[in-house]
Amino acid sequence: MSELLLRGATKRYGSVTAADHVSFKACSGRILGLLGPNGAGKTTTIRMIADITAPDEGEITFGGRPVGAWSQAQMGYLPEERGLYKKMKVVDQLRYLAELKGISRSDSKPRISHWLQRLGLEAWAMRKTQELSKGMQQKLQFIATILPEPRLVILDEPFSGLDPVNSELLRDIIGELKADGRTILFASHRMEQVEQLCDDICLVAKGRVVLNGVLRDIKRSYKRDKLALEFGGAAPFLDEMAQAGAFEFLQQNEDLRILKLADGTNAREILERLMALPEVDLWRFELMEPTLTEIFIRAVGANA
Amino acid sequence: MHKSLIILRSEFMRRVSSKTFIITTLLGPLLVVVFFGIIIFISVAALESDSWTIGIVDETGVLFDRILERGAGDHELVRVDAGSARADVMAGRYDGYVRLPAGLIDGSERPEFFTSGGGGFSIEAYLGRRIERALEDYLLDERNVPADVRAIMNRSVYVESVKLSDEGEEAGSTAAYGAIGGVMGFLMYMTTLIYGSLVMYAAIEDKSSRVVEIIISSARPFDLLMGKVLGIGAMGLVQMAAWASMFVVALLAAGPLVGAFMDPAAYDLPANVSNQELLAAADIPLPSISPTIFIWFILYFAGAFILYAGLFAAVGVMVESPQEAQPLLLPIMMPLVLSIVFISPVLQSPNSALAVVLSLVPLTSSVPMIIRLAITDVPFWQVLLSFALLVGGFLASIWLSARIFRTGMLMYGKKASLKDVVRWFRYA
Repeated sequence: MSELLLRGATKRYGSVTAADHVSFKACSGRILGLLGPNGAGKTTTIRMIADITAPDEGEITFGGRPVGAWSQAQMGYLPEERGLYKKMKVVDQLRYLAELKGISRSDSKPRISHWLQRLGLEAWAMRKTQELSKGMQQKLQFIATILPEPRLVILDEPFSGLDPVNSELLRDIIGELKADGRTILFASHRMEQVEQLCDDICLVAKGRVVLNGVLRDIKRSYKRDKLALEFGGAAPFLDEMAQAGAFEFLQQNEDLRILKLADGTNAREILERLMALPEVDLWRFELMEPTLTEIFIRAVGANA
Repeated sequence: MHKSLIILRSEFMRRVSSKTFIITTLLGPLLVVVFFGIIIFISVAALESDSWTIGIVDETGVLFDRILERGAGDHELVRVDAGSARADVMAGRYDGYVRLPAGLIDGSERPEFFTSGGGGFSIEAYLGRRIERALEDYLLDERNVPADVRAIMNRSVYVESVKLSDEGEEAGSTAAYGAIGGVMGFLMYMTTLIYGSLVMYAAIEDKSSRVVEIIISSARPFDLLMGKVLGIGAMGLVQMAAWASMFVVALLAAGPLVGAFMDPAAYDLPANVSNQELLAAADIPLPSISPTIFIWFILYFAGAFILYAGLFAAVGVMVESPQEAQPLLLPIMMPLVLSIVFISPVLQSPNSALAVVLSLVPLTSSVPMIIRLAITDVPFWQVLLSFALLVGGFLASIWLSARIFRTGMLMYGKKASLKDVVRWFRYA
């Protein structure tokens, strides 16, 4: 059971509290999205998990044991600020970083060629790192992170600077890691990526956790108050309802209208009235769930 | 394998296999030879070109001829008239003139040297020596002192230094020992400084390239620091060993080379004489150096290097570029510079209180101690105490640096003030 558990983890730098009683749980075989605006305390939280800095208060355990040098060996960390030894050859770099995680040279050799091949870097194996493009260096660093087969994978903005093809490749590999039962922590402020990838989310702002739980449940807990309509023909009653304050138009294109329903407005009534109009061809009627961005803005706004 | 050993090996291999290392190792000695060659050449050329024409107004009427009798050396001395001397100097016909007043004979007056631009120590000493000799000649003549008495007065005595050691007596001049001590002291200073600052650059590189965050998510900051310090230190030892072996080869080649430039006839030897015999006949004094001095050199280098490398690394981690590091380096370099500033008093009296104190204080001990070990017999308790203090010093420096490392390595954006550093120290 490789469960990562934070309980009241707090880190202060002088008068600034970078992480304020942060508590959450990341489970094996699931991806936890750590979300937050810049300066929210994501990096501080990750550094405490990675045992780079020690929390002033609270505790962090992995598989029931407090994190420390032992857990560093079980963990792969891809920091947001990428860095590699520029003048080192690609293979030497991977071998060195794997060695620091306790992987012997003979063990790392086949893994290095496997991963370089998988990510299309095999031709660059003997080149110096500085000769690689930024995207290639990004992939190299990703390899370095997962090569030691860590049970806990921490990825801070892993897709930044990658083209769609490589992003897709990375997403596939992350999916494989998840299926393999690894515990994955994915930090980002790119909501659509988190929405696509994560099972659980933990939203932090100003050092505090403002929202934490299963993504599905969180989304369900927010009311569906946005209605998307797509139809051919005229429905003048909509304008009347809008004027009466039943909803407001968020978007009004040729055939597509997105409505924000006011409290007490019944979407069903709109559907029935539309169906009653014989000249209206209804193609789409969707009560949309709130996007993560909207949830994020509401949660952070409420706590600001 | 221990993490710091992995880091050490990587650091060492990366550096030793770099082009810079190979080039500096091969060309370093050449550059030093060229550097000193240029200095010697310029000094000799400057001395030769600095020839004066000096007018002498001899109001005593008895000294000028006696001055010329002993030769004018590198300069030209001309008798001039008191009336025109000033004008001649101002017009540039002479570089200056000396007035020898009549009262000089009985000691009531002093000679005066007039120049348009100042004379300098060496020309004053040159004139003083010649006037003194001429005055002495005149006064001795006046008293009819016979030649054998004068010969007695002109005799010089030179002291021959012999160093006593357990193995027996070692001949060799103080100058030769001094030169070896000086060279060793200077080498100690240079190597500590150069390799120490490499550690600083390595810390800056790791920090500014952001690779450090990956490393310290795998290893303790202390392991990273020790790995870097020892890796670069090992590289320094390899480089110095390479230089030392080049030096030995050069020394072996130097004998025949010197011999080739010497004329056997000058030493009453047949033309087909061997080099060894020739060098022996020329009596070129080669001081013998005990091999233990090299062991002490390595020990003191290692100690001083780790001590300073720790401090340099702490500076490296406070900044993001070498430029920012400059003002922070000053307080660290001061003690090291101090030890080189006092190199000459230590050479002159290696057992003085100053020399003993300097060679005990950890921040300054390496340079004066290696000089003292080279030129004198240092009491064993002093070496022991000095080395123990040095070990204590580097442990303290590494401990301090590791604490600053832990927080400083991940601080970006603004330059660290002393206050910040104290704060980092507490966070760690």
